[in-house]
Amino acid sequence: MRIIGVLVILGGWAIAVSGLFLTSSNSIRILFCLGGISVSLFGIFGVLNQYYLARAIWKK
Amino acid sequence: MRSRKLKASLLLVLLGFSTFMCFATLANAEGLTLNDSDIISVSGPSKEETAAKGDAGAEFTGNVNDVTIADANKGLTVADLANQVGQNKIAINFVWTLICGFMVMFMQPGFALVETGLIRAKNANHTMMMNFMVYGLGLFAYYVCGFAIQMGGCGPVANLGGLYPLNSEYVVNLFGKPWGLFGMKGFFLAGSSYDVGVLVMFLFQMVFMDTTTTIVTGSCAERWKFSAFCVSTIGLGAIIYPLFGNWAWGCGWLSQLGVNFGLGHGYCDFAGSGVVHAVGGLTALACAMILGPRIGKFNRNGTPNAIPGHDLVLVMLGCFILAFGWFGFNPGSTLGASGNGALRIGSVAVNTMLAGCTASFSALLYMWMRYGKPDASMAVNGLLAGLVAITAPSGFVNPFAAVVIGWMAGIFVCLAVEFFDRVPKIDDPVGAISVHGVNGIWGVIAVGLFADGRSNYGGSWNSVAGGVKGLFYGDAGQLVAQLVGVATLLGVVFTLSFLWNWLVDVVVGQRCHPKAELAGLDIPEMGALCYPDFQLKTQEYAASTQSSNVGAPASKF
Repeated sequence: MRIIGVLVILGGWAIAVSGLFLTSSNSIRILFCLGGISVSLFGIFGVLNQYYLARAIWKK
Repeated sequence: MRSRKLKASLLLVLLGFSTFMCFATLANAEGLTLNDSDIISVSGPSKEETAAKGDAGAEFTGNVNDVTIADANKGLTVADLANQVGQNKIAINFVWTLICGFMVMFMQPGFALVETGLIRAKNANHTMMMNFMVYGLGLFAYYVCGFAIQMGGCGPVANLGGLYPLNSEYVVNLFGKPWGLFGMKGFFLAGSSYDVGVLVMFLFQMVFMDTTTTIVTGSCAERWKFSAFCVSTIGLGAIIYPLFGNWAWGCGWLSQLGVNFGLGHGYCDFAGSGVVHAVGGLTALACAMILGPRIGKFNRNGTPNAIPGHDLVLVMLGCFILAFGWFGFNPGSTLGASGNGALRIGSVAVNTMLAGCTASFSALLYMWMRYGKPDASMAVNGLLAGLVAITAPSGFVNPFAAVVIGWMAGIFVCLAVEFFDRVPKIDDPVGAISVHGVNGIWGVIAVGLFADGRSNYGGSWNSVAGGVKGLFYGDAGQLVAQLVGVATLLGVVFTLSFLWNWLVDVVVGQRCHPKAELAGLDIPEMGALCYPDFQLKTQEYAASTQSSNVGAPASKF
């Protein structure tokens, strides 16, 4: 689960950077960046944090 | 008729003569040169005169006698004067940068007081010691390799006299573009790095790194094993912080987005909203996630409990110390006060002041309207959030933009503290993730929105000519560069921090024993109470830990 989380987070960065190569339009590059940032945030809060929340001390 | 012709002729002669005189004067002025012979006779007061009278009126202390002469036989020459002027410029910049660096170093007690005031008295020694030791641990790691990785390929810095020894960057070519990844000169400050300019740069950059490492101690307070803190801090100071620092400030790939992809001036971060604060805030997030919340922070149904700090006086005092230190942090990032547009230091300082003040105001208003009382700790966090947010844009925006950026930061920090408590349920005792992580990222984005193009630090920034302009001033490319920076912070820096601290968790173990946590970490982790004469609420817990294996000498209970 943690490895998957890390891969999703890195994937978000890859999406943002790929916009630099795939288009020269700054508007579309902004969309790529926002998409990549969203994916990274999902990886942090939606995947990694869920793993740790499931084992949280206050749930025991 | 004849007299008219005569008058006209006279007028023409007069006009011609005037024009000739003007040109002759100009030609004479253009040809004016200063020769050694012109200054050889310049003399100052004699030593006898000075010795006899003294100089109470400061009339002749500092005169031609103080100019260093290269050749005593020749006497004072124009070359001597030129060298003295050049050295004076660099001296002003050295002194400015060093004093600002000393002020940033003094932010350490500010952080220590804020964090310690916001945690419970039973953990005060532990929290203070973490804030104290980031200085020693972080500095050593940065000296060994951190500085070289960050600044080893930064190239010439005119304000500090060149920094020519730092000229080696590891670059890979991807898709036809060069990507600078890390520097390779300056390890142990040895070899050619033993250079006066490089050492000034080291001191200034070192205290910035130190700020980053101290952010993490706040979010992990009251449950972090001290040994794990030591190892984690070394990794942050040696590798993680310097890597992003290189990409942003050391001629790495982010700073070259303007040159390589036409994105404004590349990633711009004047004093480190991203490099210092977001890196620290995201590392704090990774560590807090791994550590988990303190015992008692959340109920079984997941609702959060407030755990008040033990001394608001410390918090307020620490905040003011930080606000003072920030005047070294941001204006000092010009790396000089003379030349290359460095006189913007006044603008940078005022922006810093405005953003901090408006952020504390907006945070206070938000809490007052939402909860009916003006919350002191959130007013403090508001001020810090404003300072964090203006750190990146401070050199590129006007005062009105600073007010807007600060105002938003004050609101963001309140929303973020509530968010982390209620949605992902991440325990951050001092609000470090909200203050530094969230508002560090806001500061980076703010450059891409509000930079007004009026700054001109030597004619270019990141090798792109002209001033930095954000989206509101016509350059959408700058916003793209800033967003790529944010994506890198979240995608790469967070990942590196998480992986490193995960490794520390596996090898050392990040979290202290629950009994030690309940007792307070002062005795189990540090072996001494911060307030030995105080009646702490935790005495009954302390007694219960005497027989447990939590690393505390039983005799000290």
